[in-house]
Amino acid sequence: MSASQSAVRSRAEAVQVSRTFDWMILFTLFTAVLGGYHIHYMLTGGDWDFWTDWKDRRLWVTVAPIVSITFPAAVQACLWWRYRLPIGATISVVALMIGEWINRYMNFWGWTYFPVNICFPSNLLPGAIVLDVILMLGNSMTLTAVVGGLAYGLLFYPGNWPVIAPLHVPVEYNGMMMTLADLQGYHYVRTGTPEYIRMVEKGTLRTFGKDVAPVSAFFSGFVSIIIYFLWHFFGRWFAKTDFIADDAS
Amino acid sequence: MKIIKDKVAKLSFVALLITMTAAMFYAPTASAHGEKSQAAFMRMRTIHWFDLNWSKEEVPVNDTMTISGKFLVFAGWPETVDKPEVSFLNVGIPGPVFIRAGSWIGGQLVPRSVSLELGEVYEFKVLLKARRPGDWHVHSMMNVQGGGPIIGPGKWVTITGSMSEFVNPVTTLTGQTINLETYALDNVYFWHAVWFAIAFAWLLFWIKRPLFVPRHIAVSTGKADTLISAGDKKVGMLFAVGTMVIVAASMGATNEKYPVTTPLQAGLLRGMKTYQMPESTVSVKVDDATYRVPGRAMQMTLTITNNGDSPVRLGEFNTAGVRFLDPAVHEDETSYPDDLLAEEGLTVSDNSPLAPGETRTVEVTASDAAWEVYRLADLIYDPDSRFAGLLFFWDESGTRQMVTVDAPLIPSFI
Ligand SMILES: [Cu+2]
Repeated sequence: MSASQSAVRSRAEAVQVSRTFDWMILFTLFTAVLGGYHIHYMLTGGDWDFWTDWKDRRLWVTVAPIVSITFPAAVQACLWWRYRLPIGATISVVALMIGEWINRYMNFWGWTYFPVNICFPSNLLPGAIVLDVILMLGNSMTLTAVVGGLAYGLLFYPGNWPVIAPLHVPVEYNGMMMTLADLQGYHYVRTGTPEYIRMVEKGTLRTFGKDVAPVSAFFSGFVSIIIYFLWHFFGRWFAKTDFIADDAS
Repeated sequence: MKIIKDKVAKLSFVALLITMTAAMFYAPTASAHGEKSQAAFMRMRTIHWFDLNWSKEEVPVNDTMTISGKFLVFAGWPETVDKPEVSFLNVGIPGPVFIRAGSWIGGQLVPRSVSLELGEVYEFKVLLKARRPGDWHVHSMMNVQGGGPIIGPGKWVTITGSMSEFVNPVTTLTGQTINLETYALDNVYFWHAVWFAIAFAWLLFWIKRPLFVPRHIAVSTGKADTLISAGDKKVGMLFAVGTMVIVAASMGATNEKYPVTTPLQAGLLRGMKTYQMPESTVSVKVDDATYRVPGRAMQMTLTITNNGDSPVRLGEFNTAGVRFLDPAVHEDETSYPDDLLAEEGLTVSDNSPLAPGETRTVEVTASDAAWEVYRLADLIYDPDSRFAGLLFFWDESGTRQMVTVDAPLIPSFI
C-alpha cells in the first residue's frame, strides 16, 4: 500500500480515491463477468435460452439453473470472503441478462428480425437475489450451496412462468394442436435449427405426468448444489492474491 | 497511484472488449445459404429435388406464395452421410423474411421431424407468407440429422411493401385471435423490468456505501462482522421474502389468467405418404462417364432399353437441381431459375425415338456453365467420386418416365 500512501495527502482525498477505485473495479467486474458469463451461458444453455419453443417443463428447467449458477457462485466467493459484499450473484446475473438483452435486441431482432417475443432471455434474477441473501444471513458456503442452490433451482420455473405462460396457450393449426411457442418456432424460419435438434420434453420423467416441472426443478436444484460448491471453489482460487508476487497474503 | 489507475483503466478496456465480443458472438445465421459450398456429392446423391415450382416471383408483405414439387430420397445415399431417418422439411431463406405458414409432405402437415425411406419419392409443398421486403433467394431444403442441411435449388423472389404492416393473426383454442408478431411482448418487457428494478435496488443498497478498499481493510484486520449490520440483515430478509412472495403471487395470478396451457409439442412422424411415380419401363446402364474439365461437360455412354409399348426419347438430365434439357424433346414451362436451367444443355448422339423392345447405346453430353458455377465439377475431388442424377424420358403422348443413374465419374483434363 505504499503507492497509495504517497499519492493522497488527506483523509478526504483518500475517501475520494477509494470511491473512484470502487467505480472502476465495479465497472471492470461487471463487464468482465458479463463477457465471460455470457459466453459460458451461450455455450452451455444456448438454444434453451434463445427460443421460446425450447423452454419446456423438463430440460430447460433442468439445464438453465445448473449452467447459470456457476458465475454467481464464483463471484460470491470473491466478493463475500474478501469484502463481505452480498451482491455476487445478483451482479453476475444482472450483467448476464443485460448482455443477453443487448444480443437479443441488436442481433436476433435488429439484425435477423426474429420478433423479441420468441427470443427474449430467461429470468434468473429471483434465484440470484435469494442466493445473495442466504449467503449474507448464513455467512456459510455450505448453507448457501445447499439451501441457496436448491432455492435457485426451484425458483427458476415459477420465476419465468408469468413470462412464458401466454405462449403456452394451445392453438389448432392445420389439424394439429401446438402451443403458440411451437408455432413461433415453426413460423419464424431458422434454417440452422431444424426441429429435430430441439431438445424438449425428452427424458425419463414420464411417470410424473403433468407434474414434471416441479420434479425437474428439484432435480435441477440438487445438481445446482454441487455446481455451486465447485464454482465457489473456483471463485476462491481466482480471488487469491498469490498472483501478485510481492503482495502475497 | 497513477500506475494502478492506468492498469485498472486498461483492464476495464479489455473487459469492455470481451463484452462486445460476447454480445456479437452469436447471431442466428442470416444470409449464408452455402448452396455452392456444399460438397457436390451431397447435392447429387442425397435428395433429388424435381418438378419444383415457385408460385410467385414478387409478393407483397402479408401475401403468400408456395414452393412445391417432389423429391427423391436417393437409393444410393452416400455412406458418409447419416440416413434420413430423422429429417425436417425446411426452407432456405435468410432468416424469417417469410414466415412458414405451412409445410406438407404427401399432404400431411410437417411441423415435426419425419422419417424418410431411401428410394422413395415424396411430394411436398411449403406455404410462405411474406414478411420483410427485399430480394431473397428462396430454396427448398431438407435438414437431416447427422447429415446437416441439404439445400435444394433456389430462386430469387422479391417481397414488396413494408415490414411494419406485417401481421400474423392466430386464433387460439381458447378463442382469442392474437397477432403472434407482437403477442405477449408487453408482458415480457413488464416482468423483466420488474425484476431488473428489484435487482438494481438490491445492488444499489450495497453499492452506495464505500466498497472495496475500506471493506477489504476491515476483513483483513478481523473486523468482518462489523460490515453487516442488523439493519442490513433485515433489508436482506425483506428482499428474500419479497422475492419469494412475488414469484408465488405472480405465478398464481398467471395460472388464473391462463388456465389453459399445454406443454410444448415435439415428436417424430413416421410412415410418410410416398408419391408413386409411373412404373418405369426404360432401363439404363451407364457404360462409362467422364467429366471434361476444359469443356465443362459431362459425357456418359448409356445403353438404354425400352421395355414398354411406346417409343421414348431422352429429354432431361437433372442432377443437384441443375436441369439439362434437349429442347427437341422437352422445354421448361415452369420458369425454372435460369442459372439452374440448361435449355439446350443435353445432346444425345442419336435421340430418335427408341422403339419398344429396342436397345441402343448412345453418347449423352450434359454441358453448361452451371457445372462450374454450382461447383458440381468439384465432384472429381470428392472422397467418393460418383455422380448421380435423374433421367427423364418422354413418349409421343407426353407421358414421362424417370430413371435414376448412379455411376463412377472419371475426370478428363485434356
Ligand atoms: Cu441461395
